[in-house]
Amino acid sequence: MAVATVTHPGFAGHAEEPDQLYVETRELRIQGFLLFMVSDLVLFSSFIFAYLYLRNSGQGWPAGGPKLDIALAAINSIVLFGSGATMHFALENWKHGSFTKFANWIVMTIILGAGFLSGQVLEYIHIGARWDSGIFGASFYTLTGMHGLHVLGGIIYLTVLLLQAAQGKYTYTKYTGLTLGTLYWHFVDVIWVVLFSIFYLL
Amino acid sequence: MAATAVHAGGGLADHIHPEPQGFVRKYVFSIDHKIIGIQYMITAFLFMILGGMLAELIRVQLMKASGGLMTPETYNEVYSIHGSTMVWLVIIPLLTGGFGNLIFPVQIGARDVAFPWLNMLSFWIFPVAGLMLYASFLMGAPTAGWTEYPPMSLQGQAGTSMWAAAIFLIGVSSTMTGINFLVTILKMRAPGMTYTRMPLFVWGQFVTAPLLMIATTALGAALAALFMQREFGVAFFDPARGGSPLLWQHMFWFYSHPAVYIMILPAFGMISEILPTFARKPIFGYKMIAFSSCAIAILGFMVWAHHMFTSGLAPALQVPFMVLTMLIAIPTGVKIFSWVATLWGGVIHMTTSMMFAIGFLATFTLGGITGVFLAAVPFDLHVHGTDFIVAHLHYVLVGGSLMGILAGLFYWYPKMTGRLMNETLGKWAFWLFFIGFNGTFLPMHWLGMWGMPRRVAMYDPQFQGWNQVASWFSFVMTAALILVLINALWSMRNGKRSGHNPWNARTLEWQIPSPMPYYNFKHVPSVFAAPYDFAEPLPYRGLEEELTGAPPPVPAAH
Amino acid sequence: MESYEPLPENRDPVVHLDRQFWIVTAVLAVLAALSILWWIWAPITSIMPEAVDKAQEIDALFRFLAASGSALFIFVCGYVLYFSLAFRRHAGTPENAVGIQIHDNNKLEFWWTVGPTVFVVLMAIFSIRIWYGIEIAPGNTLVVEAIGHQWYYTFRYPNVNGEVKEMHLPLGQPVTLHVTSGDVIHSFWIPDMRLKQDMVPGLINTMEFTPTRPGKYEIICTEFCGMFHGDMHSGTKENPAYVYIDQPAQYAAWYARMERQQANASNAITAPASNQLKLAGGDPQAGAKMFATKCSACHALGPFDQRIVGPGLKGVLYDPAHPQLVDGDQATPENVAKIIENGYKGSMGQMPNQTANALSNKDIVNLVAYLKTLR
Repeated sequence: MAVATVTHPGFAGHAEEPDQLYVETRELRIQGFLLFMVSDLVLFSSFIFAYLYLRNSGQGWPAGGPKLDIALAAINSIVLFGSGATMHFALENWKHGSFTKFANWIVMTIILGAGFLSGQVLEYIHIGARWDSGIFGASFYTLTGMHGLHVLGGIIYLTVLLLQAAQGKYTYTKYTGLTLGTLYWHFVDVIWVVLFSIFYLL
Repeated sequence: MAATAVHAGGGLADHIHPEPQGFVRKYVFSIDHKIIGIQYMITAFLFMILGGMLAELIRVQLMKASGGLMTPETYNEVYSIHGSTMVWLVIIPLLTGGFGNLIFPVQIGARDVAFPWLNMLSFWIFPVAGLMLYASFLMGAPTAGWTEYPPMSLQGQAGTSMWAAAIFLIGVSSTMTGINFLVTILKMRAPGMTYTRMPLFVWGQFVTAPLLMIATTALGAALAALFMQREFGVAFFDPARGGSPLLWQHMFWFYSHPAVYIMILPAFGMISEILPTFARKPIFGYKMIAFSSCAIAILGFMVWAHHMFTSGLAPALQVPFMVLTMLIAIPTGVKIFSWVATLWGGVIHMTTSMMFAIGFLATFTLGGITGVFLAAVPFDLHVHGTDFIVAHLHYVLVGGSLMGILAGLFYWYPKMTGRLMNETLGKWAFWLFFIGFNGTFLPMHWLGMWGMPRRVAMYDPQFQGWNQVASWFSFVMTAALILVLINALWSMRNGKRSGHNPWNARTLEWQIPSPMPYYNFKHVPSVFAAPYDFAEPLPYRGLEEELTGAPPPVPAAH
Repeated sequence: MESYEPLPENRDPVVHLDRQFWIVTAVLAVLAALSILWWIWAPITSIMPEAVDKAQEIDALFRFLAASGSALFIFVCGYVLYFSLAFRRHAGTPENAVGIQIHDNNKLEFWWTVGPTVFVVLMAIFSIRIWYGIEIAPGNTLVVEAIGHQWYYTFRYPNVNGEVKEMHLPLGQPVTLHVTSGDVIHSFWIPDMRLKQDMVPGLINTMEFTPTRPGKYEIICTEFCGMFHGDMHSGTKENPAYVYIDQPAQYAAWYARMERQQANASNAITAPASNQLKLAGGDPQAGAKMFATKCSACHALGPFDQRIVGPGLKGVLYDPAHPQLVDGDQATPENVAKIIENGYKGSMGQMPNQTANALSNKDIVNLVAYLKTLR
């Protein structure tokens, strides 16, 4: 990553300039983004409800449970939670003005996210069920697939944020985009906690 | 930005975009909330013409017990698309995207909604989705009604998947609108516009926005699951493969019951604006009306299974759902009583808008009362799935929402065009509509109780007489709506010029010129009280230059 | 524009209601009382008999709801009408006249919140009591199953082999009715019983009641179930969608007959005997008439590709492009008759069988004779 060595323009110039307009726009964006996540949460909740409903309606749920690999999933979870931590460090470092560290941490986050996705692919191969093979396939692949797409989207999102930061779109005090990216990544983590619990622990 | 220092906190509100030049940016891909509102209205009224034609096809078919006009298959397509159109392409867009966009940002003293570009996107998804819905006729439209219960909808023709995709898109549009409106009301109110000073129409939008945002997403999940089941064989709803048909009903009604309130709460808001304005009297019980809207919205999320009393809902769940549903009668009753009390002691200007609002009180009350009947499980066991339901839902959606929309159209038309709609034509339209509507749907109450099911292409000949009565009256109702349409088109050019405030109303949108200028306010006003004290001076400061030739504000640099 | 001064709290004037108001209120009260009396004595049963014990209770609840609902409606609409007329602006009223500036009345608002609350509580108690009676089964019941099909009902009785077409119930005997479906969701509604349950595939719903009035009652489907949903009630099909409530002796005789019959020809309905028809001697003209009433909704008389619901039937027995029928069998008159008899379900969609279309064997023979003439 070449950007890591660049002295970043975002930290020069109009760093501490008071800007009423900016502050208020930031409030709107944060508020809007939070509400977006609420509605996204409803989307997941609906499918989680569907899963629990189907599982408890007592028809055709695989006897003895499907063969889920809890060890693999646990490792995978740790990878994803680790990426949450690295994302946190990335934002903290941005606040403290270190673009290099920020970039390193965010690259680490992206790598961990990609690692999580690879783990999910392994798990899919391991289970061997199909999306259309019954109600287990329907709920498991739909929910984890949706989550996987969110992780993939998150990786792309973080990459875009990194490039934007490299081009100087954000400053010490104006980094709403980065805050939102971090929020989103944590949100994806939290969803995984729920999915892991209901599929592997329940 | 210097000018804004006068009004503390007005920072963002004073930020305006430069006014676009050129037809496309101004009227087609506009980011101005007023243009978008009008776009919504025009599109929704066009869909209303289509949906209304389908409704008349239904009524003509039912004039003969043996059907006769259409094959059962076509008939099933017709009423499915009629229901879907009226719910998703007419009433919800008119109340939220249409009147919501047009009016509420001005009423809170904002210059636009929080995310104008998102607003534009919301709008442009809507006609595309609407055309998709109608395109489903080409591949065999859905036949299982607007509720599309599986397994019937799994057997439906190819258009059923198209239907699911179209409604999903509408849902995305609604969700974005909900987020947009909620942020706008939370963050962009003018200085002094506290929650207890907001006009009640804003309250209507304020409680509707979370419903749009949360419930519609749940519908999206249900539709996505239906689509996956149909197209990729993913077993959610197919009982032959372990799925559950009741799961769809739960997911669908978790949206569609709040959707009922999405379709009525903004209309409540409109009525709460129109009644005090024409009675020249403060709205009675402002706080109770605002609070009851919140109560209805919250309760609205907890009652969805009352649509499933005969579906095989666990007995232990029936009682709580019944009691919670009945509770909704309390806030609704409080609202109706407050509106009636608002009329008392007024100086009532009997304009067309006011007549529609008063008509709303009568018809919505009847729809609300039959709604309470339906909450009682034992009675619901008798009338569920019959014409009684058709009567009830049309009393709240046509007698409630559509009456509200028509009242609002006559009321706010000057704010869109600078001209008044024709009052004589309007009063004719009201009486024809009121008589036609009641004549169409009142008989369905007893038809349903006597044994006439809904969604039938042919029926027991003993019901033919009352069905013919309903059909003939429905022609009267249609004539009234055509009259409103003609009135609206004619008045665009030939209506009397309205001036900025033809009704002597007190909310903010009436204090600026008609039609409203691009930047809404030259200076963002400060607000000192709720807008209903007709004997007092206006509770605003900073509006002195609005009606003068003073220059408009300078757009921000970027 | 005048500048704004804050208003004092409690600025509402003290108001009194005039005599006119109380007169109107009295009139409305009389009307409301009349409507309540009407609903108490309304001759519901002369229009719709109460066939089971639960029907009386549900009617009692309906009378209560309708009485209170219409009283409320009369008051609301009466006041709306009265206020609209009484407080209408007169020609001489100055343009800037305003109404009485009251905002609130805590006492009034309190009572009109408490009033509906009390009413809702009463209604909930009443409803729950009746609901409890509906849900709870008495002991010693006759268990019957009803199964919905597109577009008819069949029934199963204990010790009766297979499914029977008619539902008979003995007077005075508590019944537990299990309802389910063989294909899509149907509904089982007998208006004269005031009871209904959906027939959901994969789910068994239950109704409990005791027949109290002998007679023949219609069963109606109220859940959309496909093309002929509207025909899924009595009177239009050979399949009688009726429930017969018989005297116990009559019922016993019918039941014994069913036991015997069904023992001989098990599953008479689900798998009708095929290829038993003698196709010779059909009347093509009668077939043409029958086609126009029963088949033309879904089948065009054009070529195969001219679909309405099913394929066009021109030259169905002679079409070189389609030497086989849609189920893969040879296009012979016998196989065509088989499809008409048994219906079809497959890649082309589905077609109801002989029973659902209410076709007699003679009709099928005539239809085949008619189809032979199409070339």
